Amino acid sequence: MVSQLQAQDGVEGIGYPNSSGDLSSEMEVDAFRRLFPLRFFERHLSESIRPDGRPLGRARDTTLALGAVASANGSALVKIGLTTMLAAIKMEVMTPLKESPDEGCIAVEFHMPPICSPLVRPGRPAEVAPVVSKQFSGMIDLKDLSLVSGKAAWMAYLDIYCLDADGSLFDAALLSAVAAFSHLQIPVVSMNDEGRVIVVSEENDGGGDAVNKEKRKLRLCRTPISLTCILHKNYILADPTAEEESIMETLVTVVLDSSDQLVSLYKPGGPALAHTSSVQDCIALTRQRVKEVQTIFDETISGMEVD
Amino acid sequence: MAGKAGATPTTYTPSPKTQRKKPPIFKNDDVDWVRPDGRGFHQCRPAFFRTGAVNAAAGSAYAEFGNTKVIVSVFGPRESKKAMMYSDIGRLNCNVSYTTFATPIRGQGSDNKEFSSMLHKALEGAIMLETFPKTTVDVFALVLESGGSDLPVVISCASVALADAGIMMYDLVASVSVSCLGKNIVIDPVLEEESYQDGSLMITCMPSRYEVTQLTITGEWSTPKINEGMQLCLDACSKLANIMRSCLKEAASASDE
Amino acid sequence: MVGLSLGEKHFIQGGIAQDLRSDGRKRLTYRPIYVETGVIPQANGSARVRMGGTNVIATVKAELGRPSQLQPDKGKVSIHIDCSSTAEPVFEGRGHEELSTELSVSLQRSLLGGKSGSGAGIDLSSLVVVEGKICWDLYIDGLVVCSDGNLLDALGAAIKAALSNTGIPRVQVASSASGDEDQPEVDISDEEFLQFDTSGVPVIVTLTKVGKHYIADATAEEESQMSSAVSISVNRKGHICGLTKRGGAGLDPSIILDMISVAKHVSEKLMNKLDSEIAAAEASEDES
Repeated sequence: MVSQLQAQDGVEGIGYPNSSGDLSSEMEVDAFRRLFPLRFFERHLSESIRPDGRPLGRARDTTLALGAVASANGSALVKIGLTTMLAAIKMEVMTPLKESPDEGCIAVEFHMPPICSPLVRPGRPAEVAPVVSKQFSGMIDLKDLSLVSGKAAWMAYLDIYCLDADGSLFDAALLSAVAAFSHLQIPVVSMNDEGRVIVVSEENDGGGDAVNKEKRKLRLCRTPISLTCILHKNYILADPTAEEESIMETLVTVVLDSSDQLVSLYKPGGPALAHTSSVQDCIALTRQRVKEVQTIFDETISGMEVD
Repeated sequence: MAGKAGATPTTYTPSPKTQRKKPPIFKNDDVDWVRPDGRGFHQCRPAFFRTGAVNAAAGSAYAEFGNTKVIVSVFGPRESKKAMMYSDIGRLNCNVSYTTFATPIRGQGSDNKEFSSMLHKALEGAIMLETFPKTTVDVFALVLESGGSDLPVVISCASVALADAGIMMYDLVASVSVSCLGKNIVIDPVLEEESYQDGSLMITCMPSRYEVTQLTITGEWSTPKINEGMQLCLDACSKLANIMRSCLKEAASASDE
Repeated sequence: MVGLSLGEKHFIQGGIAQDLRSDGRKRLTYRPIYVETGVIPQANGSARVRMGGTNVIATVKAELGRPSQLQPDKGKVSIHIDCSSTAEPVFEGRGHEELSTELSVSLQRSLLGGKSGSGAGIDLSSLVVVEGKICWDLYIDGLVVCSDGNLLDALGAAIKAALSNTGIPRVQVASSASGDEDQPEVDISDEEFLQFDTSGVPVIVTLTKVGKHYIADATAEEESQMSSAVSISVNRKGHICGLTKRGGAGLDPSIILDMISVAKHVSEKLMNKLDSEIAAAEASEDES
């Protein structure tokens, strides 16, 4: 068995029977994986490797593309392994609430369209959706969204769509949201005589002075970055895939900001109980992940500036 | 205005031209105008297809025609819903939805029933349903960005996704629409042209079999104009099918290696 | 759903091939059409149309509304079709929803023209009272009471009859100089009614393909044997105002063009027949 497993680790695209010679042993591995998924995984874990060839603590390759949606004011496409998230922000104008005349508003929605996973059917909302939506508040100072005190403020609609669901959805959603906010370009607007806010374009001489010339970008108070880990026996697996999440059920999600301060820690039950030491291990892994993501961010943004 | 403040305040998109109406892209008797993206009247937007856009699906495709961007995933054949009666032939289930940021005004029509049923009708004639009895194939489409001619793009993309999933079909289904604007017929209209159109004609067809699976016409058309419109669409469909086919071939040869 | 034995299927198909259908009609002949107008008194206009066993009712309700910002010089028309659950057992519960939506969409396509409003059977600009401020909203509702095939043609005819039965109250606009934002005040007359111009409303001809041939006005039994059907709406001028295809099977483009020219021919007769029936129905309603 071990030799078969090792043979598989080296070969990518195991699903194609004609991709490598020995068909019978491959089928056996595949059958073993489907019939005894837990044993299949534990066998790997004891060798300190995962079926996709990763060490236990490593996250999958992450890519970031800014400005993927032309019709939005800010957008980002994030891929963590195969998990794909598309986040887009549309800015609309609202009359601020009486209690907080200098504040705008952010509305976050997380969508799981039926295209992303065989488990989602149209018309039925996905279970994870509301959990994800709650996590983004406090990232931005709502006062930055004010235009004219008491009269007009920005309402930022952030919509995150999961295009391909392969585990660690929260990490990808949070990363895409942060990236979309960092890409956000707020249009220059002015207020006309009727009290409606209009966009000031270059050829348009405009009905008044721009009210937000300096505020084209939003300042993020902090950049929260998260890492989801699976706890199974005494193993900790970072950035699980959908298959791993379905087999080993105890998840811990740690959110840290760029200066390594804890934003939130989330362990929604599960059969495995966490020791303080394993929680600390999770936090250490997240700290490492924050550095990784920061480099990816920097590379993407510097790449954008070159273009 | 201030009285409206509540739990969910009403919002609006600040528009650049609130007073002045945008001049129409052409005048009524004008024959010689320029399309918003500078194309010729009978010139399609460049089409781009890629298979395997969604790994969780049995087959999927991403299509991009100018600003129109869609993803279609195919799931199955899988067990039909429990409530369904026994069926000798397979079932096809289609759903088309829009992202909230797909349209210029936020959140218009997230779930499009009309398009869903049109997609179903366009595809059912091409799929060999008898090859998967008792089961259902789900075709789900998500329009990421709407840039005009959304339904034809969804249909073409869905047929590529079906092929990617290995669902047996008689032929690829390609779809193209034309808009009637004044005296001109323009092919593959963009959103702006569609909003001014006097009429539209959409064909979905199986080019190798030279069969039309779906045809819809709106607006007033004379017979010669219908002839012209149909011919334009059919020619474009066969060209589009070639692009779709080469995308599938590329994907197949890449996975062979 | 119609359950047919093999023999019955052969009989229907053979009859169509020989141009003599099971009820004695030729391939392109319609069943007799009976029109009754003013069947629903509280609506602004209504009509019942019977074609063989198919029985549908259409009503028109007019309400004052506000034109949309994109088209300030046009009124609004909405078409909604409902299928009574007594019409067919499968319509019970939510079973009719799909068919209802399909019929509504096809009728909208046939009657409302392109996005710019040109080619519409119902002239939307005639519905405007004050540009950008007040217009008439027409709510057209159709009800399938009994279904024996060819619902779309019957509904199209019923809507045409209901529209010509429709009287829209004359509206007096009170001249109010108070601000642009306010809605002007109006006075709706309950005596004077304006007749609705229905000369541009098209008729819908559905050609159903059974075997190699296509037939007009198919019954439910014949529809169960169809491979595909094309519904074409044609107006007085002989122009096509909308086209919808049903049924999965593909059609050769040349056959579609052939069907269009046949439909134009059939529509002339249907239109004349319908007009005279509507006129007769209106006359008998006035008498009673």
